[in-house]
Amino acid sequence: MTFKMRLFSVPSLLISSIVLGLVAVLLYDPSLVYARFFDYIGMPAYQEAPISKPKPDLEKITVCDEQYPEWRKAYTIGGIDIQASDACNPDNPYEVAAFVRGTNNVIMPVLMRTQLADDAVVKTNDIDGDGDPDDIVIRVEVAELNGRSPDGKELIPGYEIAPGITPGAWVFAPKSRGMATVNRLDLTANHLLRLPSAPIRVEEGDNVTLILENTHYFPHTIHLHGVDHSYEYDGVPQTNEKLTMPGGQQVYKIKPRHAGTMHYHCHVQVQVHYMMGLQGLFIVEENKPNNWVQTFNVGAGKVRKPSQGVLETYAQEYDLHYQAIDTSLNNLIQTSNDPRQLAKRMNRIYDITDGTDDYFLLNGRSFPYTLRESLITVEPNQHTKLRVLNGSPEILALHTHGHKATITAYDGVDVNPLAQITRDVYSVSPAQRIDLDLYTKDNGVNSYGEGVWLMHDHSERAITTDGIAPGGNISQIVYRNYLNKNAMATTQGEDLSAYFNPEYYQGKLATWSAADPFGFFDDVAGAKISSYKEVLLIIVLGVLFALIVLLFVRLFAGVYTFFMKRDNKQ
Amino acid sequence: MIKRSGLLLIALLSLATASQASMRMGDWGMVMNENSQQLPQGCDSIASEQSITVKAGREYAKAFPGTIFGYDQHTFSFPRCTRVTVNFINEDQIRHQFMIHGLPTYLHPQGMFHMELYGEGEVQGTFITPNTEETYLAHCDVAQHMEKGMKAQVKVGGGNGDLPSIPGVSGQLNKDRYPLDLGVQNMLLISLLFLLGFAGCLFLYRRNKK
Repeated sequence: MTFKMRLFSVPSLLISSIVLGLVAVLLYDPSLVYARFFDYIGMPAYQEAPISKPKPDLEKITVCDEQYPEWRKAYTIGGIDIQASDACNPDNPYEVAAFVRGTNNVIMPVLMRTQLADDAVVKTNDIDGDGDPDDIVIRVEVAELNGRSPDGKELIPGYEIAPGITPGAWVFAPKSRGMATVNRLDLTANHLLRLPSAPIRVEEGDNVTLILENTHYFPHTIHLHGVDHSYEYDGVPQTNEKLTMPGGQQVYKIKPRHAGTMHYHCHVQVQVHYMMGLQGLFIVEENKPNNWVQTFNVGAGKVRKPSQGVLETYAQEYDLHYQAIDTSLNNLIQTSNDPRQLAKRMNRIYDITDGTDDYFLLNGRSFPYTLRESLITVEPNQHTKLRVLNGSPEILALHTHGHKATITAYDGVDVNPLAQITRDVYSVSPAQRIDLDLYTKDNGVNSYGEGVWLMHDHSERAITTDGIAPGGNISQIVYRNYLNKNAMATTQGEDLSAYFNPEYYQGKLATWSAADPFGFFDDVAGAKISSYKEVLLIIVLGVLFALIVLLFVRLFAGVYTFFMKRDNKQ
Repeated sequence: MIKRSGLLLIALLSLATASQASMRMGDWGMVMNENSQQLPQGCDSIASEQSITVKAGREYAKAFPGTIFGYDQHTFSFPRCTRVTVNFINEDQIRHQFMIHGLPTYLHPQGMFHMELYGEGEVQGTFITPNTEETYLAHCDVAQHMEKGMKAQVKVGGGNGDLPSIPGVSGQLNKDRYPLDLGVQNMLLISLLFLLGFAGCLFLYRRNKK
């Protein structure tokens, strides 16, 4: 075999390539060769920068996707007064009634309007005769959110923390009945299965039997952090108890002697299970007569039936649970359906010391979904009790715009009234709880007056969703005069609807696009061929590429003939 | 607003009638949308009677690596127009369900026949198989229980094929990937098969050349 193609000499090909390369650089930008090249060839001609991309056609998304707006009003169900709620999607008042009365004490039609198991909260025996039950049995299950399915790519049961954002998570949830998803076609989780793990309330001195029913595929326990309990019920596999395996139960019996804002969490592989979401508020209310407490506050937020003790000083009460999510841990549950592989990836391959948090949640949602259910709505001259838990692995620097609130308790222990501190950044260590008295008196200290005031963690990464702001745990303190009929704050600021678009948090929308009629900050379209120099440049690049191909052919032919000759000699 | 509350009213009413028709509920669990009397369309009479026992629990996951929960049996076959009495037994200390989907909606609201036990226990429920050749999904819909093994199929009149990821019956559509076993035996087998392909190709090439 011989090459019929005419072969150019190697040196001539090399020289041509170098010369053309130089020409190409000069055509592209002569200042790369010599910064003051314009001294010789004059100023470059004006070239218009590329135009802006057209503004995207955003899908119109309803800011408040209300399901049952009638649930916002005040209710009296089974003799229980349930406060009104201003949330876009308020708690189901029938469920609140069942939590307060006990699922054993409500009539069937009430229970049918909930999705609770009949034995979720069993309340009996008024032992001290003060008008409320003292034997309380509470059953919690462990649910996975946004898990993997062997049948398809869709996550099950689905749960969005923000538009289009579905990290894997585990939660403690009240024992429910029926399907985990809305129905067979809509794989969204039912309303009881959500972040955060439901806050639990009991009364001081109650005989509480907390039963963990492990419906999940990994072992778990419950550690009653800060709640008065005996060593026997500490929930720690290294000291006092065996793991509760899937399909199994663990019973915790307590009779808490001290009231306050406490905490509960799983104590198995805590660096994984705590961060997956198995952490919640556990509140011991002061012992008062006729004190029927709301055993679960699903989704945290407003407590629609505050305890007698709280109502003595406060008009209303909110549970605020702050959390963070590292997707490189949480999304592991979406990588395999085999628990053995997941256990290895989560416990041995994932390394929390290399972890970084991506999402920041208040009551299980990030902005803008916080606006749908995590607003704090107030009236002037009102005391609101806020119970804050920091479930994230970093210090929370909670800041309230327009308000300085007073810290009345740390970790469930009251601060001496004379030593109480009033401030506008409340620092809360991981797993710490603080009680705040938010007093809306317009005196320049407690409040600066009515309005819509932001409330957020001032560690700036926490106001983002994977680096995109506004996101994270931003919420609002809203004076009720500023609420509109859709239960959202009417603001003087920019239209928020763009943030309800998943594309915004994928970084596909220009930050100020909706607010910028000039188009100053729109995305730039790509550069197009627009001058004779660029035309020449592309042609020269084509020639250069051809030369390099010829050079390779020449080299290959040389090597080939060398070996052919050697073979022929032999 | 008016439209919404109207819808809610209808939803509640239908819930009420459904519960009236076939709802048993207690601290043991519930049986919803039973049907022991009404004939499915195309059935002249109850052709036969059958009763089965379905056991649910982590015990039954042992046979299928990578699962945590399971039923003692994952395929059930019935003739058409048959009255089936299901004896559902839960052996775990947590909630489990045996829920059949896709049944005629005029007999079962949302096409669902639903048995649920809140803990260890036993309950009976009845349904009548329709006059079709269809494979129905039966599962436990506690979060992730179906995914982790509690999935079965009910074949009526021979059924129309298998559903995906039924333990011991059919494979996954969203497949799990596993690393290779690097043991001597497995690697030897892999090398042999690989060599067979490689050598076979070279052998054919040389023979063609001659």
